[in-house]
Amino acid sequence: MSTFGIGLTVVAVAAAAFIVWVPDWTHPPVGGVQIAPPPASMVQFSRGHIPEPVSLHAPAALPEVPASGASAASVYRNVKVLADVDAAEFMRLQRAMTQWVAPAQGCAFCHEGEDYASDAKPTKTAARLMLRMVRHINADWGQHVGRTGVTCYTCHRGAPIPAETWFPSVPNPGKPWVAKQENWRESAETVRKFFPDAGWQLYLLEDTPISVQSTSALRGDTVAAQIVAKRVYEMMMQMSDGIGVNCGYCHNSRAFEDWSQSTPYRWSGFYGIRMTRDLNRNYLLALQEILPQTRERLNATRLPVIPARESGLQNGDGLVVCATCHYGQPRPLSGAALANTYPELEAKGAVP
Amino acid sequence: MARFHTLYTSIVVQGPLEYALPTDDEKPKRYGRPFHSRLLGRIGETQVGPTALGFTGIASLVCGFIAIEIIGLNMWASVDWNPIRFIKMLPFLSLDPPPAKYGLSIMPPLREGGWWLMAGFFLTAAILLWWLRMYRRAIALGMGTHVAWAFASAIWLYLVLGFFRPILMGSWSEAVPFGIISHLNWTATFSLRYGNIFYDPFHMLSIVFLYGSTLLFAMHAATILAVAKFGGERETHEIADRGTAMERAALFWRWTMGFNANFESIHRWTYWFAVLTPLCGGIGILITGTLVDNWYLWGVKHGIAPMYHPLPGLPLSPPAGSGKLPSLGAP
Repeated sequence: MSTFGIGLTVVAVAAAAFIVWVPDWTHPPVGGVQIAPPPASMVQFSRGHIPEPVSLHAPAALPEVPASGASAASVYRNVKVLADVDAAEFMRLQRAMTQWVAPAQGCAFCHEGEDYASDAKPTKTAARLMLRMVRHINADWGQHVGRTGVTCYTCHRGAPIPAETWFPSVPNPGKPWVAKQENWRESAETVRKFFPDAGWQLYLLEDTPISVQSTSALRGDTVAAQIVAKRVYEMMMQMSDGIGVNCGYCHNSRAFEDWSQSTPYRWSGFYGIRMTRDLNRNYLLALQEILPQTRERLNATRLPVIPARESGLQNGDGLVVCATCHYGQPRPLSGAALANTYPELEAKGAVP
Repeated sequence: MARFHTLYTSIVVQGPLEYALPTDDEKPKRYGRPFHSRLLGRIGETQVGPTALGFTGIASLVCGFIAIEIIGLNMWASVDWNPIRFIKMLPFLSLDPPPAKYGLSIMPPLREGGWWLMAGFFLTAAILLWWLRMYRRAIALGMGTHVAWAFASAIWLYLVLGFFRPILMGSWSEAVPFGIISHLNWTATFSLRYGNIFYDPFHMLSIVFLYGSTLLFAMHAATILAVAKFGGERETHEIADRGTAMERAALFWRWTMGFNANFESIHRWTYWFAVLTPLCGGIGILITGTLVDNWYLWGVKHGIAPMYHPLPGLPLSPPAGSGKLPSLGAP
């Protein structure tokens, strides 16, 4: 063999070794579940080995306590949200909330010194707002959360700030005479966090209807513009990634628009998008006003380093996206119905 | 036994430098001093140059250079002239057509598609001039103009995507952006917008010819290589004088599938398959959005796409509020 041939072989073997060993492959077999009869099949492939930053298992519910017979408001001072709850159950929930949200910080995360009635800490005001949100979700968004419901733990997973939140990036201002670019998120740790979030903003914060395809075969002037389709695509990929499924979990890919060929999950997702929008507009934006940015102090392990050119709406601790609850699972916490053991979380909550 | 000079031959012929035949051109200008290259000799002729660029060739290269400069400098400027970010982000950088609000205006602001229009103009000029050059060089050599017309088929698809269809749709925003990922995204969203372009019959035909082209190309190239040791790559010679290579190649396919092309007709097969790929594709794109808005529903209407049974457990109607058309303020 000539020197040329040997050199070529060495380079080829090195390249093959690089391709096999360096990227983080999901190696076969990749599991799949077929959710429809052939020919649609609509196989759902398993997510592979992407590690999530949080626990995917629900903690055991605290043991039930005998009712004290007195309401929380009559026993404790300055109780605003959980006033009607039995005092014993109130304390059980307080302990559970500490475990769910601030296990390291304890009661002092929200309460000032020995005066548990004091509203001195903004985290306490924030906790009230978040309790109202949990009750609102469980009472009014059954179309998405079903009878499983949510608790603080669904998002927080034992950390003061949920690991998966979203900070809308400001639109790229560009230059006066140079074409603008998409807001690619260059500081992203992974490819899935790299894509622009302009679509998330439109559909998870602003009240934009989602429609791309025409419902008539011939020209009917109802096809969404190219840019709209792109924004929907960005949002849908956020959703797909956040709940750990591919398009076929909800849609029949031969006719994305057609509801009659979609799976029942699409209905759940439809309400999920609207629920997320509701939460962001009515609770998380309000939360930004209450809490200054706290994630640097509280979640030091996830300290973000964001170049100035990508900084955006960096107030507060971020908004809610699908992954905030789902963490890559079609049903958060594998569908564990933790909320059922805290009936006060399912009560009708008032929208602030 | 004589050795024929094929891809597999280790002999690289380096004879005296060759100057082209006299042509019918008035001033047959040649550029560059020819030389031999051993490396190129491994994959083709060893001689490099001279070229006959002429006015059209030089004008084409200048226009092409301007187009690439506009695209590249726009991309570089958009990452604050940072060379590292430019290289890192290059696949994702894009020069987009004007947004829909400018319609077919040829004077949108530079940052909102003005540069795109300029780049498109110069790129189109470069391509058309190059076409003209191919055509004229073929005439000058007394050849047929087959190459130019095959190239024209690709130009047709290019013009449909960036010129004809946007004009019919009334907006440059319908055109394809310049950029690696962005033009791929354009392709994916185009299919999604128009209800799955796989149901577009001209897209189907284009795929048939595309896959057919690769199949024919593989069959033909493999056959010729297989008889190269009998001088089979000297195809034109064998049209007149059917040597043993031609006989074996023809017998191979006659024995394999009962029928064989001949040394001339196989090139007509591959030529038309290749030419029809972008030709059909261009027609398929041109009628999308101008005549047909949803190819899947068009397929259902004409019996191409069967309906499936509804999935079990499906709610009876879509949720209220679905299917509203968004009206984004000209983003």
